[in-house]
Amino acid sequence: MSDLVNKVAEILNAPVDLVQRSAEARATASGVSVDDVLNSWAGGESVAASASPAPKKEVSVEEVVEEVSVEEVVEETVEERTEEFIKEAEPQEFIEEVVEEIVELKNESALSFISGVLLVGLFTFLFAFVIPKNQATDIVSDSLNNSVSASSEVIKGAEVYAELNCQSCHTQNVRTLIPDTQNGKVLKNKFANETLINNVGNIRLGPDLSTSATREPTNNSQWLTRYLSDSTSVNRDIPHPSYDFLDDDDLEYLITYLLSLGESNE
Amino acid sequence: MKIKLFPKNEQELSKLFVLIFPLTLLLSLTISFLKNAYFTFANLLPNNSVFNYGFLDRLDTQAALGLVFGASLCLSFSYLFSKSLGRSMVLFPIVFLTLLGVVGTEFLDILVNFFFQNSAYDLGNSSLLILLKILVVFGLFGLSTLNLLVKKEASIFASAQFIYGAVVFYLISLFIVRAELNVFSDIFLVNSLYTGTHIYVGVAFIYMAIVHFLMTRPLKAVLFNKTLSSITFWGFLFLLPWTNFKYYYGSVLPNWIENISIYLSMSLVVPLLAFLVNYIKTIQSKEVEEVRSLNLLNFSVVLFSITTIFHMISSFENLLPILGITNFVNVITYGLVGSLVLATISLSYYLIPKLYGREVAYSRLEDITFFGFKISYLLLLINNTLLGVNSGYSWNAGANTGSPTIYGEGFGIVWSLIGINFSVNTFISLVLLGSGFLYLISVLRAVSSGSITTVEEMVYSNE
Repeated sequence: MSDLVNKVAEILNAPVDLVQRSAEARATASGVSVDDVLNSWAGGESVAASASPAPKKEVSVEEVVEEVSVEEVVEETVEERTEEFIKEAEPQEFIEEVVEEIVELKNESALSFISGVLLVGLFTFLFAFVIPKNQATDIVSDSLNNSVSASSEVIKGAEVYAELNCQSCHTQNVRTLIPDTQNGKVLKNKFANETLINNVGNIRLGPDLSTSATREPTNNSQWLTRYLSDSTSVNRDIPHPSYDFLDDDDLEYLITYLLSLGESNE
Repeated sequence: MKIKLFPKNEQELSKLFVLIFPLTLLLSLTISFLKNAYFTFANLLPNNSVFNYGFLDRLDTQAALGLVFGASLCLSFSYLFSKSLGRSMVLFPIVFLTLLGVVGTEFLDILVNFFFQNSAYDLGNSSLLILLKILVVFGLFGLSTLNLLVKKEASIFASAQFIYGAVVFYLISLFIVRAELNVFSDIFLVNSLYTGTHIYVGVAFIYMAIVHFLMTRPLKAVLFNKTLSSITFWGFLFLLPWTNFKYYYGSVLPNWIENISIYLSMSLVVPLLAFLVNYIKTIQSKEVEEVRSLNLLNFSVVLFSITTIFHMISSFENLLPILGITNFVNVITYGLVGSLVLATISLSYYLIPKLYGREVAYSRLEDITFFGFKISYLLLLINNTLLGVNSGYSWNAGANTGSPTIYGEGFGIVWSLIGINFSVNTFISLVLLGSGFLYLISVLRAVSSGSITTVEEMVYSNE
């Protein structure tokens, strides 16, 4: 320890080893000698910040901060000096933060968002609806025996069927899957009246009615009249609505329609 | 409680829909209960032109997917849309009339069917009513586009994006439903795409809009990642409309569209994961520990995730012959509608203090209501999955089961397997009805006699 260190320690009223370490750190950071630093702390000229850099690698921000905590204990004068280092080290970090903020505030174009949604909508409408619909119609047009003919009574019966929403439980859609084909003849794509098409159904809760007119007892009009008017008279265990509220004409049309099933879907 | 007949701003309009939503939900749950009761006890209950399963089923679809969906859309649009864009709505009086029109036309649809059931078919999709619906929804589409174009926020918050997506696909679904049916495959195309656009995109997107709001603002949490939210939005928007075709596997639909539907359904895993990661990470950053109004939110996310996982699992080719055209298809709809209902209930409880200046006292009434809704929707999902699998399996298990025979033994076998599930469905819908009634009581109690608190002020301007 030199006399200069002891003198500075006395002036600053701090332990000698602390003053020594602080002076060394300051000297390394500023690129000057330890004696110059001690001289300036002892009342000489301040250390120039622009002094030529030391040959050693640059001191990291963390190291400087550590020194600050040491010098806090030493004295206010030392604190002021170290603050200069922090100020010198901070700008790099500050610039990074500003760049991040600019990214966050990037303007999102409403026009491109709206166009994107409309494009997806248009794409869906074209490729999931218009194209397959036209394709199916073209294929059916090119095939033989491509339409289902139905009398006006059958159509009226189909309308009663649709009003009663029978298609919410019964399908007329036997698929080309092996287990399903045991239920009757597979539904073929054909031109038909809109009401007949509408009655094909989506959910099979009750039996499929594709070929109900080709089987017993559903090929019998008397049985159908009895069953539809009072289903409990046939089977109490299976829940089926009784349509005794239908007027005679509507019931007759409905039965005519049910007796046509098996021809139309063949 | 003070509600203005002609609201002057979004806040007053939202107040109106906070009250309308429980009423529409109660109506829908009542019809749903009657429908299930008339299926299970068709032989015991007196049937007439209104009280029979077929008619009630149609009415139930209109109430749940039309009216309740419409009310949720209007509530989220009136409260969240302007908030997400950082300004008060332009042409507010027209927005008000249009939103009333959305709920009004859906309600009118139910009324017309109820009073003119014999002409229901004539009053169907080609009627004036559907044209009126298209006009109203087109108006909503135009107004939402206009409001998006003049937004004040730099970015569009996720809620506004989801609401806009729902409106656009709701409009598309109305165009699809009016399509002419020429050949048999047309009905499958129309039904699939209508389900894909209206139910899958429409319902799921309103749900997403509400969740993206509730997981951030009330919890003072920051959205974890905007990119993940964009993946959720564009992923679901692109995939969901295609996912219903697969349930007609083996039918007269073109094979390519069935196959595309299968692959795209499996791809739902991408937006689902993006949503879940975003949700969990966002919730983790919350600053408010407990918000009672959000009691149902986490559960709704679980319900939505289970539904989407079911959607993906049902895409396997060996399962499709069993699950297609059975009650399993309804599971997806029940799951999505259930998630939407739970999220909207959460939103309404959050909004009551903000809009009416009345605290909700979270007493036993609310606890029972929340529990009732949670358990019912979960059981509904499980029960209908079993129902679908059992009926699909038994229809395919042997010859004649799918066709009526002399002694009706075919359906007898099926009914012995699924009869219990239908009875459970009736019980669940009764619990749901009870929960819906308690929810209405709870909302009315809160807005009329809750302790007074500060009302939220919306201070947006168009300048």
